[in-house]
Amino acid sequence: MTILYDTQSLLERYLTKLIRNPTLLGTNLVTPVIFLVLFSQLLTKFGEFIPSTPGGYLAYLTPGVIMLNAMISAPLGGVSLANDLNSGFLSKMLLTQVSRPAILLGRLVTDMLIAVAESIITIVVALLMGVQFSSGPPGILLILVTVAFFEFALSGIFLTVGIRTRKTETISALSGVLFFPLIFISSAMFPISFFPSWAQTFSNYNPVSYASDVTRNLVAGGLTFNSLVSAYLLIGIIAGLTFAATLLQFRKVVS
Amino acid sequence: MVYNDGTRAVEGISFSVDEGEFFGFLGPNGAGKSTTIKVLTTLLRKNSGKVSVSGLDLDKSPGEIRKAVGVLSQETSLDVDLTGWENLHLQGRLQQMSGRVLDERVAELLKLVQLEDVAKKPAGHYSGGMRKRLDLASALIHRPRLLFLDEPTTGLDTQSRAAIWEYLEGLNRNEGITIFLTTQYLEEADRLCRKLSVIDHGQLIANGTPSELKESIGGDTINLTLKDATLRPTVKEILRAVPGVIDVIDSDGGVTAYAKSAGQIIAAIITSLDRAGIQPSFLSISSPTLDDVFLRKTGRRIRAEELSMKETEPFLT
Repeated sequence: MTILYDTQSLLERYLTKLIRNPTLLGTNLVTPVIFLVLFSQLLTKFGEFIPSTPGGYLAYLTPGVIMLNAMISAPLGGVSLANDLNSGFLSKMLLTQVSRPAILLGRLVTDMLIAVAESIITIVVALLMGVQFSSGPPGILLILVTVAFFEFALSGIFLTVGIRTRKTETISALSGVLFFPLIFISSAMFPISFFPSWAQTFSNYNPVSYASDVTRNLVAGGLTFNSLVSAYLLIGIIAGLTFAATLLQFRKVVS
Repeated sequence: MVYNDGTRAVEGISFSVDEGEFFGFLGPNGAGKSTTIKVLTTLLRKNSGKVSVSGLDLDKSPGEIRKAVGVLSQETSLDVDLTGWENLHLQGRLQQMSGRVLDERVAELLKLVQLEDVAKKPAGHYSGGMRKRLDLASALIHRPRLLFLDEPTTGLDTQSRAAIWEYLEGLNRNEGITIFLTTQYLEEADRLCRKLSVIDHGQLIANGTPSELKESIGGDTINLTLKDATLRPTVKEILRAVPGVIDVIDSDGGVTAYAKSAGQIIAAIITSLDRAGIQPSFLSISSPTLDDVFLRKTGRRIRAEELSMKETEPFLT
């Protein structure tokens, strides 16, 4: 299958580029550790307010850091595509027999792998710091699948913006504006019972809350089938919308 | 070809290139050369007209055309993080090659463009000439029978330019690859191309072999530079009256006259000018060049145009 071969070829290209860029690679791999250690140490006392969470604030925070990392690495794909558009490399690819969707898929799979790698690091550090994953290895696997799916949905936003504006500055500016409210007005970092009511309402519709809650239930136990389905459904809808937007923008470039 | 913003880039042009030909598309900056290549290589959709490439209809079989042609764009487009070998290998994979066939082809091309020694270094460390050579190799990876080159030597030093010329001549002569090249360098068109089209402002102004085009001038050119530009009309009148002068036109800093054998009438020209009390500050006789062809058709020189464009650029920003 051309599409699989091409996706694999481009995935290898992006991973090689990442390895050749030690600063970017290092930052991506160290960020999860910094967030986890920093927040859990600064806010250790916060655990006293959430006695129902076994493992204290560190255990509460671990899923939030996993989602935070996924969000921070989501713009990478858009930046990379904008660079390819500006350098003429995308035109060069379009002059070959490459399967057109594979150009997007190769990048999306790269972003998903980066998010999964960061999650694995976060989980390993959390385990070393004493967090118990009640659902065991199958639960950890499901956490990684959830992160990958979540990343797919988010990457589409930046791929669309990257193709449309061709400006990496726009992507960084947008990521800041988008991520701070999404991550902090959600259940990712703090329980929403601490929020004012408007923020609770926002958080209840925020996909980051859904993804964090699924992950948290896999760490602490108590995942219900319904919460899993509703989280996947919401992420699925966003993924569908962002992927459609990406395709639409991409088609304008291809034709 | 009209762009979305209404810019009419190329209009009403028609030409054909035979198999095995070394074809040149000559014109100044902004003449429509790149647009034509982008249309021919499926990157831009034309608004109207009929194009067939390698016997394939552009609208019906863009995929088949991409298989048959190799393209070297004006901007060198390499992944600077990847090594020379990796760049070629990736390009081959995107052209659906794999395994030993691809490995051997990559090795063969690295040898052809003399980049074997630096094949394991990231392309970002290469000089401009080396990047262009690597880009040329990647355009050849899938053994295309037709190669499009958009200003392949623009911005290169003399040595790199000569190296690229040699590869291209070899590809055309030894492997029979048809080459379609755009250039704004007269020297390049004259040296490489067996057939030429001259384009200006999106329209074809001349077609033929370099020698045919030069012969169309009708003989030698006599260039006169005048200190006082207001004398131009008088000088043109005087020259036209000299027997043997075929045509006289304005040129930068003076006038240019065309004559069958300039050597025989130059004395008559000088005498006539002298009688009118006009002394040109500079006078030269030359065999016609492609620049003269361009001048004859457009009233401007390609080189002068390039210079004037450079002058309008701010010195420092």
